[in-house]
Amino acid sequence: MKTFLTVLALTCLSSTALAQQLDLSLSSAVVTFPGSDPDAVPLVSAAPVQVTYRVRQNNKATWSLTILGAGDLISGPSRIDITNVTWVATPAPPFQNGTLSKTVAQRIASGSGNVNPSTIGSITFRLANSWTYSTGTYTQTVLFTLTAP
Amino acid sequence: MPRTVPLFLVVLVIVAASGLPAIAQTSNATLNASVNGLARLSLSSAAISFPDADPDAVPSIQAAPGAINVTVKARTLPGGTVTLTVVANGPLRSGIDTIPASNITWGATGALGSATGHLSAAVPQVVGSWSASGIRTGTQTFFFRNLWSYATGTYTLTMTYTLSAA
Repeated sequence: MKTFLTVLALTCLSSTALAQQLDLSLSSAVVTFPGSDPDAVPLVSAAPVQVTYRVRQNNKATWSLTILGAGDLISGPSRIDITNVTWVATPAPPFQNGTLSKTVAQRIASGSGNVNPSTIGSITFRLANSWTYSTGTYTQTVLFTLTAP
Repeated sequence: MPRTVPLFLVVLVIVAASGLPAIAQTSNATLNASVNGLARLSLSSAAISFPDADPDAVPSIQAAPGAINVTVKARTLPGGTVTLTVVANGPLRSGIDTIPASNITWGATGALGSATGHLSAAVPQVVGSWSASGIRTGTQTFFFRNLWSYATGTYTLTMTYTLSAA
């Protein structure tokens, strides 16, 4: 029994020590699209967001960074579908361009193994500008998730 | 020792079967988008003219080059109103001779509706009115009431269109 407990303890310690360690941070928690004339600026760009990420003790397993909108852009009773927001991300790979969704997390970057030391990617969000939008200040939250394996 | 070996294997099997738990790090960001009020009007022609005609043969002269294409672009508040009006700067003038602006009428099609109207130098006349933001296009065709009573001459007036969103 003593041997069993020893093995169990070592196994648990080993599991803890082998668990992936992930770090994720954004240079800014706010992304702002300035008001623009749809004819002059059909695609409104926000200032780039720097994503700093690190993946350790991942062996050769895969990792991915995704983004999910909590809903449409909302201003009182008015909505702008979140799919009107796209992004351009660099470097590619591991980053990729995409379109926001409020239902399915969209992949921004992915890879395998470790990313150490911390690495920075740049994401520029863009809003498709339209005359059909009602005036207002729209807002919505997006969730970045770094996962492994 | 003979009993610990099976237990060790059991532990290994359990650990291997469960695997390491997936872990995740998350971070939130807020998207803000400003949509400002904006209005833009474009006309396919900045000038129209009514050719001379016999009042008996052509009592109502259609303007050349024909219908004016009107494009209205506007952003307004939810439930807001977009209005396009036109007003004349005075009567048609040729020297000291005048013809009332109201002798010019129009018919509209497309997003401008099927309304008809007449020019006024006193009160802006509504060409079209809509709710909500968007782009609308239509045409406006002008007609001149041709009468024997007019003094000869070349008459001119200026029309001013105003697009407002509120």
